[in-house]
Amino acid sequence: MNTLKGTRAAIFFGMLPALLIYIGIAIIPIFVSLYYSFFNWDGISAKSAVGFDNYVRIFNDSVFWLSVKNNIIIMVTGLIGQIPLGLLLALLLNRKMRGSTFFRTVGFMPVVISSVMVSLIWGMIYNSEYGFMNALLGFFGLDSWQRNWLGDTSISMYSVSLAYIWQNCGLYMVIFLAALQNIPGEVNEAAELDGATGLRRVFRITIPMIRSTILVAVVYSISNSFRVFDLVQILTGGGPAHMTEVMTIYMYNHAFVSRQFGYGSAASMLILLFSLIVVSLVNRLGREKEI
Amino acid sequence: MKKRKGIKGVALLSVATTLALATAACGNSNDANNGEGASSSDAGGKGTVTLTMMHPWTSPNADNDVYKARIAAFEAEHPNIKINQDGVAAAQYKTKLFTLAAGNNLADIDVVWPGADLDPLVSGDLLLPLNDQMSNWNELVREDALAGFNKNGNQYAVPTKQNFVDIIYYNKEMFSKVGYDTFPATYEEWIDAIKKLKAAKLTPISLGNKEQWPLQSSYMSTLTQRFAGDDFLQNVVDGKAKFTDEDFVKAVAVIDELTKLEAFNSDANNMDSVQAQDYFIQEKAAMHITSATVNARIRIDNPNGSKFGIALFPSVPGGKGDPKKAAGVPQFGIAIKSGLSKEKQDAALEFMKYFVNEDLYKDLSKAGIMVPTKKNVAGEGEINPFLEELMKLTSNGSTRVFDSVIPTQPSKEFENGLQALTIKQGTPQDVAKKTQAALDALK
Repeated sequence: MNTLKGTRAAIFFGMLPALLIYIGIAIIPIFVSLYYSFFNWDGISAKSAVGFDNYVRIFNDSVFWLSVKNNIIIMVTGLIGQIPLGLLLALLLNRKMRGSTFFRTVGFMPVVISSVMVSLIWGMIYNSEYGFMNALLGFFGLDSWQRNWLGDTSISMYSVSLAYIWQNCGLYMVIFLAALQNIPGEVNEAAELDGATGLRRVFRITIPMIRSTILVAVVYSISNSFRVFDLVQILTGGGPAHMTEVMTIYMYNHAFVSRQFGYGSAASMLILLFSLIVVSLVNRLGREKEI
Repeated sequence: MKKRKGIKGVALLSVATTLALATAACGNSNDANNGEGASSSDAGGKGTVTLTMMHPWTSPNADNDVYKARIAAFEAEHPNIKINQDGVAAAQYKTKLFTLAAGNNLADIDVVWPGADLDPLVSGDLLLPLNDQMSNWNELVREDALAGFNKNGNQYAVPTKQNFVDIIYYNKEMFSKVGYDTFPATYEEWIDAIKKLKAAKLTPISLGNKEQWPLQSSYMSTLTQRFAGDDFLQNVVDGKAKFTDEDFVKAVAVIDELTKLEAFNSDANNMDSVQAQDYFIQEKAAMHITSATVNARIRIDNPNGSKFGIALFPSVPGGKGDPKKAAGVPQFGIAIKSGLSKEKQDAALEFMKYFVNEDLYKDLSKAGIMVPTKKNVAGEGEINPFLEELMKLTSNGSTRVFDSVIPTQPSKEFENGLQALTIKQGTPQDVAKKTQAALDALK
């Protein structure tokens, strides 16, 4: 009994520094932001309290809803792109083969390259006049498929999503790879003896065994998609004419570019709210299945 | 028993670590608070003053090199003053400036813009009034260039260069190919030339509007003046005119017309302004409309410079503005943060006197940059003929730049509306209406 009590105290004290730092740089600013969201303030002159005005204005702004829609596109394409692709890559690389370390490094590379580089590279690939994408299509005689990838509003958001998937799927690959390597060898041997091979083994044995990891990856992918900023900001700046604007860019443009800090704070509160709602939904779905 | 002792030890160690961290953090914040005074003795021996300076001189431009050389020369001559530079890319500069201003964290010396962009800094008392120092510059700098940095009778900054934002650079060979040996003088001829260039499979205008300011600043400042007259923008701010007035809508409609003629390169919204310059310099387009600063890059430093001519936007049918005027703005005002310690303020003023003087204007002129001076700073034959041509072109008075008159929020709304027109969304009326609504929302 005493021992347990002592351990708890030790854990508490051990975590205290990290906790203090976390509260200081993550929790307190959220409340500060909440406070500012009730003001009309340019950051320099005096604040004036406006109650829920900022929230009402945001809800009536069609650009905000466009940014929400774009976030949902990023979220959905991210989920159906990153998770299966990450899993596929992990399954391929989990086997004993020559050069697997090399391929793992290559797969993980986009995750560690800075977003600025990723954006610039994809910006060049997508360029409508000299870009690699159109050149490639032209090379294969698919001229009619050539597009203004980032300028054509009907597809620009999907072009951004593709770059986003490419940038992040290596991360999920590594997460899944770690989970796969934790599956005991006996399980696979037993499965093989029972005649479960190939895809059958993947779906019946492997995936159920790393189910909790997949769920964590799904939650991570969703909350990540609400935070996407740098890639889009550099690739398109949210343009043309708001067509690729996501919620973080909406918030940034109002708070920092047109200097409405109160309004921007209100937008950031909504980002927090939206991601909390979606993540808790996913968590609940995951838990129900487990029972 | 032994175990418990171990745990106690861990707990004690944790407390100690926490305390150490906490005190270290406090110590740091104290240091930061005392920073202004302390850095003077810490930085490098006795009496050294360290000043911070934020500027947007990062891209490879003729004027940026001159500015940076001047800072280096100051440091060499004043070993007791150190300038810590914070160079921020031009596209992000204003955002960083105002974010730092909001946290009362401006650098000691800052580069600022005139007019609507200076207002918030002045209303927050963030800049040092320079009134009693102006004897250093009154003889050198033109009054009209100082005026933009003057608020309520106080002078807050001194400009270092004169810019015009709406110079049309054109490829003479391409124009003569379609039958124009001189640049079109009227709007109808200009549109005719664009159609002929298009028919000859040439891109008429290279545009890099990803950062969104080019259409607003370089195109619409002039177009507004050509259609609606010199005072229109000020009248809108004063409530005597509206963006929805017919003349302004006609001006916006030019962007719509150019889009429908496919006058711009197809990747205009994904390219930045520097990439669009490259496009033009590589002769992939017949025209490029941008600031006078680029004159050095396109014509003076370019071995093929003589291929390119310069012009102003032609007269428009029924227009109320003088077609000889360009849209001008004095730029890169140097300002000092208010509330510095005596020691730092004296050093900053010392720097400013050295930095903004006749020699700087001379060096800029030699590099092909226009300066807002009443003196003849360049000696005989020292002025590059390309610069002389530009000075002549812009010598017939100037009209004001859109976002130096119109506050930031409506300007940003307008930029987005213009970008929408280039992807064939919305109408000029919509753009005018939304811009007016954004301006009204400020009141």
